[in-house]
Amino acid sequence: MPLKLGPISGQVQSMAKALVEQFPVQEDYLRRARKHLRSADVDRLRAKLERHFGRQPRFPWLVAKPLDAGQRLYQQGLAGTTSAPPAPRDFCVVGTDGSSIPPDRHSPVRYYVVNVGYALITYGSEPSAVLDSQSQLCFEDRDMYVFPKEHEAPLEGVRFGARMEGESLRILRDVLQASTRPIVVLRDGPLTLWTLQNEEEKVQHALLRDFLDAMSFLRDSHIPLGGYISFSGSRDVANSLRVLICEGQPGQCHGCTSDERDLCQALATIRDRDLFANLEEGQRSELFASSSQVLEAYGDQRADFFYFNAGGEIARVEVPRWVSLTDEQLGLLHAVIHDQCQRSPGFPPYPPALLEAHEQAVITVSERRLIEEMVEQSLGQLGHHVTRSAKDDSKRRRGV
Amino acid sequence: MSRIGEIIETMSTGFVAESFELNRPPALGSLVVVRLPDEAGARATEVDLYAVVTYGRTAGIDPSRRAVRRSTDEVFDQAIYRQNPELERTLRTEFCAALVGFASGGQMYQHLPSQLPPLHFSVHHPTAQEVQRFTNRLQYLRLLAPPYAAPAAASGAGQVPPLQVVAANVRWVYKARGRDEEWLKAAAREIATLLKSDHEALLTVLYAIEPVHATDAVEES
Amino acid sequence: MFKSLGLVVDGTFNSGLIVRLNPGVSLEQLRIGNFVVVDGQHNRYFSLISDMQLKATDPRMLSDPPRQASPFVAHTLAGTSTYATVEVKPMLMLEKVDETDADALLAEGTGPQPVRTIPMHFAELREATELDFATVFGQEGGSNFAMGMPLAMDLPICLNLDRFVERSNGIFGQSGTGKSFLARLVISGVIKTRVAVNLIFDMHDEYSFDKQTEDGHFVKGFKQLFGSQVLVYTLDEQMARRPGRNADVTLKIGLNQIEEADIVLLSEQLNLRPTAEATIGLLHDVYHDRWLLKLLEMTQEELDEFCRASGAHPASMASLQRNLKRLPRQDYVLPEASFSTLDDMVEALDRGKHVILQFGRHNSVLDYVLVSNLVTRRVRHRYEEKMRRYEETQKVGQEPRPLMITIEEAHKFLNPAVAGQTTFGTIAREMRKYNVTLLVIDQRPSGIDDEVMSQLGTRVAGKITEERDIEAVLTGVSNRSALRGALASLDTRQQILIMGHAVPMPIVMRTRTYDQEFYRAMGARPNTAASAEADISDLFGD
Repeated sequence: MPLKLGPISGQVQSMAKALVEQFPVQEDYLRRARKHLRSADVDRLRAKLERHFGRQPRFPWLVAKPLDAGQRLYQQGLAGTTSAPPAPRDFCVVGTDGSSIPPDRHSPVRYYVVNVGYALITYGSEPSAVLDSQSQLCFEDRDMYVFPKEHEAPLEGVRFGARMEGESLRILRDVLQASTRPIVVLRDGPLTLWTLQNEEEKVQHALLRDFLDAMSFLRDSHIPLGGYISFSGSRDVANSLRVLICEGQPGQCHGCTSDERDLCQALATIRDRDLFANLEEGQRSELFASSSQVLEAYGDQRADFFYFNAGGEIARVEVPRWVSLTDEQLGLLHAVIHDQCQRSPGFPPYPPALLEAHEQAVITVSERRLIEEMVEQSLGQLGHHVTRSAKDDSKRRRGV
Repeated sequence: MSRIGEIIETMSTGFVAESFELNRPPALGSLVVVRLPDEAGARATEVDLYAVVTYGRTAGIDPSRRAVRRSTDEVFDQAIYRQNPELERTLRTEFCAALVGFASGGQMYQHLPSQLPPLHFSVHHPTAQEVQRFTNRLQYLRLLAPPYAAPAAASGAGQVPPLQVVAANVRWVYKARGRDEEWLKAAAREIATLLKSDHEALLTVLYAIEPVHATDAVEES
Repeated sequence: MFKSLGLVVDGTFNSGLIVRLNPGVSLEQLRIGNFVVVDGQHNRYFSLISDMQLKATDPRMLSDPPRQASPFVAHTLAGTSTYATVEVKPMLMLEKVDETDADALLAEGTGPQPVRTIPMHFAELREATELDFATVFGQEGGSNFAMGMPLAMDLPICLNLDRFVERSNGIFGQSGTGKSFLARLVISGVIKTRVAVNLIFDMHDEYSFDKQTEDGHFVKGFKQLFGSQVLVYTLDEQMARRPGRNADVTLKIGLNQIEEADIVLLSEQLNLRPTAEATIGLLHDVYHDRWLLKLLEMTQEELDEFCRASGAHPASMASLQRNLKRLPRQDYVLPEASFSTLDDMVEALDRGKHVILQFGRHNSVLDYVLVSNLVTRRVRHRYEEKMRRYEETQKVGQEPRPLMITIEEAHKFLNPAVAGQTTFGTIAREMRKYNVTLLVIDQRPSGIDDEVMSQLGTRVAGKITEERDIEAVLTGVSNRSALRGALASLDTRQQILIMGHAVPMPIVMRTRTYDQEFYRAMGARPNTAASAEADISDLFGD
């Protein structure tokens, strides 16, 4: 209410003006960048990346590395495209998503709620859909700590987030049934849980265990998995382009004399989705490997990615290495994602399976309140009364 | 299967039920029944509540999700449901029904029952004999026709004008009784009595229930 | 089973009950004057329909009625949104007894009573059943004479002839409504049941022998129906001699029998001046009973002489004499005649014979009025004597038989101007003081004096449309408003309304047909020679 809109409105207008003035300049950079993509010498890039990043445990830039997959990839530099194959007549797509009520700092009671939603949709001659969710309230030590026996590494913040991701895939074991139809699993968000990159290794491993187990289950069941990121903000390929055109040491730009310096600097802010905006609807880009540090913990489940034109936006799709290397599975995944986007009711398109999974996962504010009340009531019946923090109380009451 | 829906909201004057079949609620004006076992659970003395369908609606289960256009040149109408199987799960069809009477101990009563229908109980099609027996008396029309019917909101988001509900009910019962001309004439007279002070309202209903073929000459008694 | 017509929804004791007709009952099925029954909780009310109204539950409908409504819609609206009410006037009420015991119902000691209360709301109105008719009007037999049937049923409605002859009565109706048939019915009944003897002044020769009706067929006369019980007198000698239709007695009247009052009554017919009455008075003062004879004999000088002596005006005298000279010119007028013929006639009447006086060719108004009035005066005089004697001796068998005198064109005798002077007026007002009553037949009841009219006990009326005549017929009758509508809505032939002393309540009915069946019912026997002899002995005594 006390927000002063007067000065802000003027600032909004200035911003808009500045932005629009940028457009033609941006277009020019993008053109030049795409040219480089097309003409990229992949071996040379690989070598450069190895040289500059292979040595270091961590590099400030996330880069996209060309896969080692023989001659069949990168026929047109990095700019190769693949159209979506037709989807099979009968197939299943499963979307999963997770939501939670995180541990409440203002409550004396320590618990959290996880709600995983999934949508199992069958298309073709016998269309059907199963939309459901699994919910649990977690309060025991093993839920509250990464290492419960030692009470070490409490599950908060990013750790909690990672635990959630694991839950969202774990449900697949219960949900998926043997079927003659091809099945594809999509999840909302990346497969690369990069938020864990600052954790200790043993924590990373502990937190990734469920996630990776689920992925193995899928691999063993020959069910391709894709992580779908709408309107991705990644800049991996843009960074790789910078490495490619850099004539010196990438990252050490002081004293750079290159002709392409302006492009390089522009690429520092250009996003991959803009680079690949020239994909046609349904097409995907080449596959790339991610350089995210956390993938070290993934073993042979490490995630690769490609960009995909959903028909209104460019999405980033992450797939496990075993899908990248299996043409059939990669093709099926691509076909299904394309098919999903075509069935999407909204614009820009978004896979209905993920949309419904999300709807199943969502926990509303009133449901949140309901849980709080249930907890308070339960404790109350046993004689224990809950008092919340003063700050929380003031936020709720907001008295004058 | 005679179960056609499940009660999801209930009030003294009626209830809202979700239809088991998407896009196919029971017909407007039709009679539906909720079967209650007696308190001991024995089926011998059960109570059957009769209600008339007053409204139907199909929308997203989540009220914040509105339907969007899905048809294309190739895929439209029923094909949309095959194309998007999740619609069967995200949409639901509801119908509202106003209570018009009940049967207990072999007797038919045409006033509001003292207990409201329980939540989550099933809604059924009545049998042909039940329809016959119940509609042999016409007092139930007083629970539907203005100005004595329950206010629209109370019987569940009724946005269908009560006069149209009455007309729909009369047409439905007429057919359900095998085009019973005598019943139709009696029902028309009962409605004429209820709407005696508003002849335009009466004509609205009469025009909506008169038999269609012009050769249906109604004999003077 | 009776048909329920509607429910009582309103009403007052004075103006009647308002009944809301049931849906399905059409006004067009009902008639004003219909006999209907209201079943109250404690009483049954025998009533007449006196008015009908159209109503609508929503008056807005009337300003914009549904056009081109389908039969279905029209049928639905009829009786519900649009409905009809009838006004009914209770005439008699009966306390309710056990419904199932019909005998108890009919044997009810007191029978239907005058109405003293009204039923509560929603009492049922229904058509009258046979039982209702029988309860109210009694069953045929004894002095209950069937006059006709209800409009929609085939059972007899009876006139109580005992009560009928207790008063003077009237038969009224426009011309063409069959008054003479009504008279035939009533008089036949009186003859058959022997409640009285009849003296009929038959102006148009309708009653004695066969007569051809408008339709062309012949109907029997009383002589043929009742044989020797009936004596035919005639003024016309020629008629007396017709074969098969001969009269029994020829009547002559004498100038000596004509009185002042007779002449005054004939002022119009004789073209008398207003001064005539005074002049006659003067003559009577001098010559008493022979005044007329004397006047007619007088020469011019004698006239002048008389005028000088009495102060009468010569011109008046002259004109009077001139006009009165018509009288002796009539065939049946003799200078002098004895009253013995008439006295014999009275004796015959007292012995139970019925007399019809035919006028034959002498049926001008003058003849009719003169002779009827004169004869009746004599008859009444004799009856008065008999009655006085009986009152003195109180000997059983001495009481003179009740006599009913039938006159047509009654307004000639009973209009306000002359009602005070005619014998008929006297008889009407006397109300059977001397066992003599009138049966007046007329098509212009408004011409009859109000006081006389109000003395008429029973009135039998065919269709009347003239306001004045309707009001006249209803003079002195209660529930006039109810009956007004009934009178005006009767069918021209064969529908009548009877009200008054001889019926418990006014009733509209179809008259009985005067036909073979009726003749049989009257026990008609052919006029054989044997019975002709009996006639003569009856006439002249043993």
